[in-house]
Amino acid sequence: MQVGSVNAWAVAGIAAAVGAAIGGGSALLEASLRPWQVGDFSGEMLAPSNADAAEADVPETRHDFGTVGAGGKGSHEFVIHNRGNATLTLTRGATSCSCTVSDFDSTDGGDEGGRKEVPPDGSTRLRLTWKGKGTGGPFRQQATVFTNDPRRPEIAFVIEGTVVPTWKAIPDRLVLSKLSASSGEQASLRIFTYGSEPPTFEQLEAADPETAQFFSLSTAPLDAAEIAAETGATGGVLLKVGVLPGLPLGQLRQTLRATVRIPEEIQLEVPVEGTVGGDLALAGGGWDSSRQALLLGSVSGRKGSRTQVFLMAKGPHRSSVKPAVGEVVPASLVVEVGEGVPVGSGGTVRIPISISIPPGSPPANHRCSPQAPAGRIVLETGHPDTPTLTIPVCVAIDP
Amino acid sequence: MISRLFHLSLAVVLLSSAAMAVASAPDRGADVPTATVETFTERNGKVFVDWPTPQAVVVLTGELDGYIEPCGCTGKENQKGGLSRRQNFLRSVQAAGWPLLAVDLGGQVRRFGRQSEVKFQSIADGLRAMGYSAVGLGPDDLRLPAEELVAAVAPVGDQPTPFVSANVGLLGLDANITPRYRVVEIGGLRIGITSVLGDKEAEQIRNDAVEVQPAAKALEAVAVELRKAACDHQILLSWASAEETKSLAAGFPQFDIVATAGGADEPPAQLPPLGGGSARLVELGHKGMFAVAIGFFPDPKLPLRSQRVPLDARWGESPDMIRLLAAYQSQLESLGLNGLGLVAVRHPTGRRFAGSASCADCHKEAYDVWIDSGHAKALATLEEQSPRRDGDPECLSCHVVGWAPQRFEPFEGGFTGMQSTPHLAHQGCENCHGPAAAHAAVERGDVRASTTERDRLRKELVLSIDTPEGKQKAVNNCLECHDLDNSPEFDFDTYWPQVEHSEK
Repeated sequence: MQVGSVNAWAVAGIAAAVGAAIGGGSALLEASLRPWQVGDFSGEMLAPSNADAAEADVPETRHDFGTVGAGGKGSHEFVIHNRGNATLTLTRGATSCSCTVSDFDSTDGGDEGGRKEVPPDGSTRLRLTWKGKGTGGPFRQQATVFTNDPRRPEIAFVIEGTVVPTWKAIPDRLVLSKLSASSGEQASLRIFTYGSEPPTFEQLEAADPETAQFFSLSTAPLDAAEIAAETGATGGVLLKVGVLPGLPLGQLRQTLRATVRIPEEIQLEVPVEGTVGGDLALAGGGWDSSRQALLLGSVSGRKGSRTQVFLMAKGPHRSSVKPAVGEVVPASLVVEVGEGVPVGSGGTVRIPISISIPPGSPPANHRCSPQAPAGRIVLETGHPDTPTLTIPVCVAIDP
Repeated sequence: MISRLFHLSLAVVLLSSAAMAVASAPDRGADVPTATVETFTERNGKVFVDWPTPQAVVVLTGELDGYIEPCGCTGKENQKGGLSRRQNFLRSVQAAGWPLLAVDLGGQVRRFGRQSEVKFQSIADGLRAMGYSAVGLGPDDLRLPAEELVAAVAPVGDQPTPFVSANVGLLGLDANITPRYRVVEIGGLRIGITSVLGDKEAEQIRNDAVEVQPAAKALEAVAVELRKAACDHQILLSWASAEETKSLAAGFPQFDIVATAGGADEPPAQLPPLGGGSARLVELGHKGMFAVAIGFFPDPKLPLRSQRVPLDARWGESPDMIRLLAAYQSQLESLGLNGLGLVAVRHPTGRRFAGSASCADCHKEAYDVWIDSGHAKALATLEEQSPRRDGDPECLSCHVVGWAPQRFEPFEGGFTGMQSTPHLAHQGCENCHGPAAAHAAVERGDVRASTTERDRLRKELVLSIDTPEGKQKAVNNCLECHDLDNSPEFDFDTYWPQVEHSEK
């Protein structure tokens, strides 16, 4: 293409080549000036120092406070040397949390507006102060300092450690995922304390009077090896929780409350949560627990489909649940019940149920609307308390 | 003249485009204002500086802890995390032309109950939408009822489930609801991934419908399969303490990237080595505030680079995830408090609530301070969000009167909705001073009481910061809502002047 007296494509080609060269060159130049970056495995590849520049030498960028009590605080000073031939200018950047405060040493020239000037061969200190918050566990916070060292424009100082609480329960709450109303449950928690003496339990109770009678509580001391394995713990007990059958159906909420001396008196509260249900439940592809229906959607009657759900049986009668298929609507559904298989330790038995819509099935409309009520699969379960289980089915079989 | 000007302009445009094309590492979400990008880059650090285009990049996330989005009093823009920013970050990686593999350690939820079940399903849908290839299962995930887990985890249509686990089987390991491992080809590399739940974590789960095999034993079988698959890299997602994870990694040195739970709230800037080999340990921090990207390069001197990515406002918000959040909030609203299984519990004092307006007649000065404060607009701030949050118990608990803030459940007589209990809207007087219905009734003359009884009711509600014990009690009250999760900047002495009120 000619524009005037110049070939525009030639101009474009030359411009692109020159642009790529400039872009690539600038990237390489930047890489050579700043090869070290936080988060980069290439931390060892520092460029040679520039004779006329400041040079930040930092012997230590990470400090471990070890264990810190909840609410306690710690402070550490990091030293920054200037090994270069020009003044090193340092600027305090952000900290990762308000629990961490950084400031430069003010005794050797001041910290004005978060800036510090360090002459050649000089040094200064950056102090990080951290306040313990939270309920325990590892912590890690960071403070950033920006520099005019071309090799090292920013330095991240990291403080870390472990917050040790007054006491800790493992697990921190007791969750009984799906209790069968007809059978009890045994559970336990480990309680660790961090006082100057091993714990003495003065009172232990299930605090909510509505369901307290279903809980039996006892403690047994933990062995020394278990206590030693828990960082900072000086004592501990195994809290055994027995849950009796007969809890009302629905959400379970309880609080285990204890008064303990270590030797100071502390109050422990451990929540208990769970769901108390019947012995039979469904799970699997298409089962919607909110609507309590099996959603098969729209299916081509010509092609057919197959899905599988599981009937889960819990409680003392779980082994006697051997479902037989009764009524099926629409009648074209083919329902097959497989053998029950214990899950894990056997507290639940899993019974596969496959539901097929064979190819060539006639049209049917059971979309679960007022005009098209749900279909159903009726199972004779063999369970003494729930002898029949009806599964609503939402399906439309298209021609 | 005009033609020369045209040529010059064309050259400038092409030069600029070519220069920019050389370094296109992701550093912002689409359409995010430059000022926002600069603010948060300066605050939280630059990312992917000097990275050439990798052969492939793995982005690891995990320990979302239920924080579909960051929330709290300091303002969303000042906090990190959320699925919306995460999706935008992943999209920016893809837009940069980097072959992407997204994996997640697990730990989507932190609590138990119907809200967590709904949340887990929503998050699972979100992870599918983001194209995750492998997602582990954390202990709080596995405490949910099995039928809810299966519904959320099971394959959808032709799309296989993204959840994998070597040693956890929903409804039994042989039910094969989730695969034991997955091999993905990306950027010409074969990457094998599996996940495990640590043995100590497994001991704490009481869910009969979940089978857990000892982690090391399960890994023996999976390790054989991954070796047969001739993977270039192998990733182990280990929900276990760092100690247990290191022990597993030592037993299976074929894994060169090992992610662990049990770390600190923020991941380290660099990945520490595991043992003496080339394997690296990845911590992900808490609440999904960070992602960790690991790039693979065909450079024998530098085959791997890592980048800790703060999921801050520079990544912007994803409309798809905002819609997902809206659908989640809509479900909560439809279910209502009853549908969510929230039953009012007795207040520890046994007293009932009156509402802040009841205090105004006698405590006018204090009421005037309150009405001008943020506390008096607390519920409105939830209504003004997009999507609204005023149907979310995890938000309501600190934005209305009469809820247990840390248990996200109402007290008897506490707020149940604007229709039934409008007088209990916002963060009112009684959340600090205690329920005051009896006191108000006596003072109004609705109920006759002796002078002694009247004085007792008055004294019960006094909260004085004049003594160390009194001040600590007040501080503890504040910390019920201004906790580390929602108000990390809170300091009583700094915040108190904003709401200070007292009576002689």
